Amino acid sequence: MGSNIQAILRSIHRFEDTVLVSALVSMLVMAVVQICLRNFFDAGLLWAESLLRILVLWIAMLGAMVATRESNHISIDALSRYLGPTIKQVSRVVIALFSAMICGVVAYYAYEFVQFEYEDGTIAFGIVPTWVCQSIIPVGFSVMALRFFIAGFTGIRNSVETGTPE
Amino acid sequence: MAAVASVLIGLFALLGTPLFVVILAAAMLGFYFADIPLTVITIEIYRLVDSPLLLALPLFTFTGYLLAESKLSSRLVRLTQVFLGWLPGGLSVVAFVTCAFFTAFTGASGVTIVAVGALLYPALVEAGYRDKFSLGLVTTSGSLGLLLAPSLPLILYGIIVQQMNLPNSFTIQELFIAGILPAFLMIVLLTAYSIWSNRDQVIETGSYNRRDAIDALKDAKWEIPLPFIILGGIYSGFFAVSEAAAVTAFYVFIVEVMIHREVRYSQLPGVIRESMVMVGGILLILGVSLAFNNYLVDAEIPQQLFEWIQIYVEGKYTFLVILNIALLILGAILDIFSATMIMIPLIVPVAMGFGIDPVHLGIIFLANMQIGYFTPPIGMNLFIASYRFKRPITELYQATIPFMLVLLVALIIITYVPEVSLIFLDR
Repeated sequence: MGSNIQAILRSIHRFEDTVLVSALVSMLVMAVVQICLRNFFDAGLLWAESLLRILVLWIAMLGAMVATRESNHISIDALSRYLGPTIKQVSRVVIALFSAMICGVVAYYAYEFVQFEYEDGTIAFGIVPTWVCQSIIPVGFSVMALRFFIAGFTGIRNSVETGTPE
Repeated sequence: MAAVASVLIGLFALLGTPLFVVILAAAMLGFYFADIPLTVITIEIYRLVDSPLLLALPLFTFTGYLLAESKLSSRLVRLTQVFLGWLPGGLSVVAFVTCAFFTAFTGASGVTIVAVGALLYPALVEAGYRDKFSLGLVTTSGSLGLLLAPSLPLILYGIIVQQMNLPNSFTIQELFIAGILPAFLMIVLLTAYSIWSNRDQVIETGSYNRRDAIDALKDAKWEIPLPFIILGGIYSGFFAVSEAAAVTAFYVFIVEVMIHREVRYSQLPGVIRESMVMVGGILLILGVSLAFNNYLVDAEIPQQLFEWIQIYVEGKYTFLVILNIALLILGAILDIFSATMIMIPLIVPVAMGFGIDPVHLGIIFLANMQIGYFTPPIGMNLFIASYRFKRPITELYQATIPFMLVLLVALIIITYVPEVSLIFLDR
């Protein structure tokens, strides 16, 4: 059972990584194609410009999702080095749960926003509706909220089980 | 209630809460008390798609990571050694120039110390420089070049200020030009110090040798065009900044992966992934700070801050003194991206109120941050150098202090002589 969950998680992670890497590769290829078209053929793909900009958003969200998985976010962290191990562990749990809450709230409102956009039915480029481009915002924040929550929860469980932090 | 919540958010920030969460929490708090629906946060994050400039961030970051994986560092050291090694101060000039170039591309992420510093440190000691001096030199050089295109913090500063829709705005091109002389000034002052500091040492300087020069040129022939593609392309207006980023990334890919084959195809997904996680985190913080800035402007906080500061601070020059002190402290505590995204929206309107040009301010800001990288007790480069060269951190504190004083002199000149930054600009 546990190994099944591990396997599912691993494939989710691999999927996330693949989409993230593909986002940059498509961005690079498309940007170069655009430049060639513009300079050598005096032409350009109308939808490419929009797609390129949307890829920036996707890289932001996907990169942040992976960073959450690896606890690799930019943070200020000026105090924690002065804390004792127990307080440090407590503060880690509190921070994870706090981050989960904030991401959850953003996800909720982002979902609402995307739903409005869905009902409006505006088109971002080509045949791709705007809501599809935006959907990465609620999805990303939901995933991050979940990950922060799990990190916080595991932190509590570990401390309870062992009685000592870490 | 709002005050308690603000203090709590501040405490969470200092305890290591991810910065994007901190900014989101602050924005939510602000919007909540201003009765603005929180949907606005999503709208602001979606504004990330508004600026074509932002494309430059992932593309240049990828380029930097790719260059750091290749053996560019050793080619670069060899090249500068042949052409600059015979100068008085020989190898130290080589170190400053190489590090500045490398940092401009890799964005002072510490990789300069690991990749270039590790080559130069033993070479410096062997050439006769004192150990402590050499250690201080490579640690200090780890953030030299922050003011040169296409360094990430430089572009980020430009993007943030442009998003603020201020009067007297500027282009990224102008910012790139503004950084050149200040960076040059730093290198000149550091070199002068190196010569003076080692006046009693017997230092072997290299000699110029035509054959070596040709070999080194051949060795680096693919990378030499890089600055010309970026700077030439951008300054001449042939490329937009984001286009230059795409061309550079593509070119570096061809050179390092297909020609030099120093990065294998199988390594590529890993390199891309790592670089995108880094830049994704930065972009998300940028997105949420757009939301927070919206709140700040709505609540007229920069305006109030300016009026409050004006009561205590008289005139531009006094303000600049205080600004520099505050930024040096901030630079020592915060990493450069946090500092840029938190402080710029507050500082820029206030500084412009005092009549400071936003381009000049950007250079002052980054010069401060550059010094912050090795300010004790927690400058990031001190830790990286301590780890890389296996020296206690206290030894690095001592080793870097003279270099810090030299750069403080440069900072004072940059701050009080705006022409150093603005002379080539029509501002």
